[in-house]
Amino acid sequence: MHKNGHDAASVVRDTIYRATMALDDQKWEDWLDLCDENFHYKITAFSPEINKDMIYLQGQRKEVETLVRLLPKHNTDHSPLRRHTSVYTVDVADDMSTASAVSSFVIYQNMLDGVNSHLDSGESRLFLIGKYHDTFKLEDGKAKFVKREVRLDNRRLDKGSHWPL
Amino acid sequence: MPARNHSQWLAKPKLEGGEWIDSRVYSDQNVFDDEMERIFKKVWIPVCHESELPKPYDFRTTSIAGEPIIIARGPDNEVRAFLNVCPHRGMLLERRPSGSFLEGQPSGNPKRITCMFHAWQFDMKGSCVYVAREKEGYQDRLCKEDVGLRRLRCEVKFGGFVWVSLDDNPKISLEDWAGEPFDCLRKSIDAEPLEVFHYHKAIIDTNYKLWHDTNSEFYHDFMHYHNRVTGFNDAYFARKNFAFKHGHVVVGTFEVNYENYEGFESRGALSFPHLPPNQWYMVDLFPGMNFNLRGSALRCDVVTPLGPDKVMIEFRGLGLKRDTPEERETRINHHNSIWGPFGRNLHEDLIGVAGQGTTMRPHTEPRQILHGRHENQTIHDEIGMRHYYDEWGRWMDRLPNDPDQPWHERNPGESAEAAE
Repeated sequence: MHKNGHDAASVVRDTIYRATMALDDQKWEDWLDLCDENFHYKITAFSPEINKDMIYLQGQRKEVETLVRLLPKHNTDHSPLRRHTSVYTVDVADDMSTASAVSSFVIYQNMLDGVNSHLDSGESRLFLIGKYHDTFKLEDGKAKFVKREVRLDNRRLDKGSHWPL
Repeated sequence: MPARNHSQWLAKPKLEGGEWIDSRVYSDQNVFDDEMERIFKKVWIPVCHESELPKPYDFRTTSIAGEPIIIARGPDNEVRAFLNVCPHRGMLLERRPSGSFLEGQPSGNPKRITCMFHAWQFDMKGSCVYVAREKEGYQDRLCKEDVGLRRLRCEVKFGGFVWVSLDDNPKISLEDWAGEPFDCLRKSIDAEPLEVFHYHKAIIDTNYKLWHDTNSEFYHDFMHYHNRVTGFNDAYFARKNFAFKHGHVVVGTFEVNYENYEGFESRGALSFPHLPPNQWYMVDLFPGMNFNLRGSALRCDVVTPLGPDKVMIEFRGLGLKRDTPEERETRINHHNSIWGPFGRNLHEDLIGVAGQGTTMRPHTEPRQILHGRHENQTIHDEIGMRHYYDEWGRWMDRLPNDPDQPWHERNPGESAEAAE
């Protein structure tokens, strides 16, 4: 138990779910507030087609900040993404200073544009699936993301994938 | 002009014949069926890269014009292509996208292509080496020597890509088909072995040619904030499109100012061999392949048309095989920042062609699509598309601006099929 009474694993779970909500709402600053100054973000996938581990996107916190700040300057699909996250495991280090967690996620695209918004808007489609592999720094009863690897099961990525996952 | 009524909307534009086309070229099922027979079953298609099957007995599967294909590397290191069809009763021989025939399968032995259904087996040259209960079933009427796989024309060329033609006797050799447009890249991509580090695909509700059109003009860069801030200068606008025989186009180079985009860096240190720092060449091959070398990374798009209103686009990124892990990671970051699925440009391109696909569904009213911009062959000149559709008309024997009319009647004395 932490000195403030919170169970470290619960804090980690709570942080993962808060990140999910911030990402769903495209509140990028709220998401980054949950991340350490040394945060590293990475989207990866294994391709059986080319038999390689691949990196689809990666950056330090500063680069992620730049990326989300420039998002409004880019054209994008308007359909919001909605994540369902389930925290599977949380492992807290013996000295209680760090933790790691594995969560499963399913991301739905809540159609706004679609192929033809007249037909498609209002429905939800399965967009991406995978797992979050997170590392946290535990300090003052809080968990801060130090590292997030988004391991996608998908290699098919159609339009609508412009944002952090 | 104010908004037009129906007849004004349908009236032919005040442009020359080759400067606009009829949207049925993008939406008509009969046109699409003809394209599969007259174009895709005749031309050379880059189906994968040799680094995707690096060892003997490695394989990849793919398809062209609906025909399933196996690419396999033999023990002699030769890369060969076969129809992925068992000659017995038409079962798909290999169902996975890649793997190794060195491994035994539940129905068959190592080092064999085995049909899981009735255990017929084939070697890496496509010869049938085992027919289950051959004598009992066929006596002397049919033997394994009669039932080899269907072999396909296959060459490894232009940076190590694996090219396949379904035509047993292609009228144009691969060298004649694409050698000239590749001249601008050859020294860079053939200097040493390349390796694929990126693969993803998109399936978009649009016609495959609309994707190629997008790759064939840079007027659409107004859609890309990234390109506007890194590129829009005199040199950017001065680049030229160069048309080559067989409908191919090359876009000339210029030096990109990556530092103008926050968070980006110069690619000069990792530029491909013989390529001046931060230069950018692009090769658009008829009927829908694109090779794009931006300094440190090579991108290749290959279209697989699935219908008049649906296309799969496979995206590959390549670096040098000898890259150190650090060099490779930097190269991947450069590639992804613009061309990755979460990069700055690719996503916008997909939105653009999906939007065109929405307005050109099958059975929508035919309309004119304008390709009439002339800017001295520079990148905002639509010469690339005019050149493409001139070639398309020959192959299809259809006029692009009136696809029910035969091309050869308007072009007497010229061969209707470009390959002839």
